[in-house]
Amino acid sequence: MSPKVIITHLSDLTPPSQERTWLTAPHPTLPIVATCSSDKTIRVYSLTNFTLLSTITGGHKRSVRTAAWKPHMVGESVLATGSFDATVGIWRRWDSYGQEDGAGVGMSCGDKESPADGSTEAPNGTGTGTPDREEDEEWRFAVLLDGHDSEVKSVSWSASGMLLATCSRDKSIWIWEDLDDGDNNFETVAVMQEHGGDVKCVSWHPSEECLASASYDDTIRLWREDLDDWGQVACIKGHEGTVWFLDWEGEDSENWNGLTSDSVSESDLSALQAQWRSQTALSGPRLVSCSDDRTVRVWRRQPKESQQHGALSSATTGIPSIIRPTGTDEVWEEDAVLPHAHELPIYAVAWSKRTGLVASTGADGRIALYEEQFVTREQEQQAGSDAMDTTSGGVLRTDWVLVGVQDGAHGIYEINHVAWAKRADRGSGGEEVLISTADDGSVKVWTVTR
Amino acid sequence: MAEMQNSNPTIINAADLPTRLRPTATSKSEYGGIFTSALPLAPVDFESAPSSDSEDDNLMEEPIDEQEIYDLISTISDPEHPISLGELAVVSLPDISIKPTLPNVLDSPLQTVTVLITPTITHCSLATVIGLGVRVRLEQSLPSRFRMDVRIKEGTHSTGDEVNKQLADKERVAAALENGALMGVIAKMMETCR
Repeated sequence: MSPKVIITHLSDLTPPSQERTWLTAPHPTLPIVATCSSDKTIRVYSLTNFTLLSTITGGHKRSVRTAAWKPHMVGESVLATGSFDATVGIWRRWDSYGQEDGAGVGMSCGDKESPADGSTEAPNGTGTGTPDREEDEEWRFAVLLDGHDSEVKSVSWSASGMLLATCSRDKSIWIWEDLDDGDNNFETVAVMQEHGGDVKCVSWHPSEECLASASYDDTIRLWREDLDDWGQVACIKGHEGTVWFLDWEGEDSENWNGLTSDSVSESDLSALQAQWRSQTALSGPRLVSCSDDRTVRVWRRQPKESQQHGALSSATTGIPSIIRPTGTDEVWEEDAVLPHAHELPIYAVAWSKRTGLVASTGADGRIALYEEQFVTREQEQQAGSDAMDTTSGGVLRTDWVLVGVQDGAHGIYEINHVAWAKRADRGSGGEEVLISTADDGSVKVWTVTR
Repeated sequence: MAEMQNSNPTIINAADLPTRLRPTATSKSEYGGIFTSALPLAPVDFESAPSSDSEDDNLMEEPIDEQEIYDLISTISDPEHPISLGELAVVSLPDISIKPTLPNVLDSPLQTVTVLITPTITHCSLATVIGLGVRVRLEQSLPSRFRMDVRIKEGTHSTGDEVNKQLADKERVAAALENGALMGVIAKMMETCR
């Protein structure tokens, strides 16, 4: 039997919006999330006690579709929001949520590893808070980025936090540079218009300045800066419908162990893991996508080294360097189609940076979890394929296995988004929770255990 | 309004339109809403499900059948004629079906309503607006457990695939609902709905 994963409802975020909620963005360091609603507001909730902290109103004239937290901020949080009103809002707030809800976290980023229990006080503890303060005023509207012609669908900050990518039904992707000049000035760095339809999602590489985008034109495209110009370096065709969402593999999924369905000894497993790391190091993090075509697919970049110096790299597998892309062009290949798990369009996919689990959700109201597992020699032989020795130079293969399904996770409602976040409520041990966001406005937090 | 695209459409006599002759809903009050074998046009192409002994007692709503869907959308007016979609045969009872959305999930209340639209002419640029009107009407009238599948009937429109992709795109439909001008047109089409 494959190891199964149990999805358990931990809590709702309350009170919820009464209208469709599109997306939940977990803060990179603080135990808070921002949710985007059709009621034109952004709600900020605590993951410590699952209650509403702030409601940001008055900035957008139509549905708020998307939001993203700027990384590497210290002492202040910066949120970018994208709306159907074609604008992107930038909001700022001095960090003090930790004091307010007594969680003992929040003022500095340095304490993010502090245990969540022990120091936790009652959420309604008196003293530190200023109860009569107007919560909404704490969020300062910084600037409105104007440029798109129609609904903004997605926003994403680059790993450094210097660049913000935005995309729209107007088929364009804009890259803005945060000048960080204390005056909230953003400069337009590039406008890319190669997509043939709405751009549904933009997502930055976890460390490099490489942007991935997904579109109504059924393609995924990758973008990099070459000398001074931003340009397309790859166009991935494979999906047979709108590509709704993208996420990157973590660069250091230390907890993913590629458990096989057969029992493998510890030493064998660590050998497999070492081989896997060297085999995949040159490709870099993979990309996962989900689509209207009811599939979730994983894409891998063909390593440049193997394209150009295939024979020199011991980690390559003798793939002849037939294709020699010029310039910055990259070749991306389909690495896997994940097991079928959805009967309706799949709106979101999330690749855990911590455990390597992939979660997907969509219009069928189902949350599915997938795990990548090594294929052992025994399985290969059973499958009648060539008896490749997985421990002595053969190409190590993996299979994606459906390890958990939660039907009707939000009752009868469609689920628009799913995200991984660090668990922060009392008694948690630093594991992750899954946060799902639905058409009735509800936002649910789930634990994922074996 | 600009020149009409189809100034002389075929119109069906209102008396010939399908209607429910027998009294509505039988007295079986808790009859399961999922596999109503009494449906006049029950689709036969889905896997035979367990018979109605697994009815969902939690559903307090009346079962909804194809005729009821037809009644909801046939009275919508065409955007360029003061004539209903039923009279123009843009929507018709045989082109409406209701199926379980997740046939393999035994107690799932989700059902998919499929409506195939037949534009009056194959290059009708208003097909998207008509389809959107039908989808909006159903979304506003039916419980949330229904999923809408509104499409142009195959072979009846020159750009059917494009129209279908738009109509199936949740985000575009949601944005259209916030578009005042477009919703004005849709509201006018629905003035004739009861």
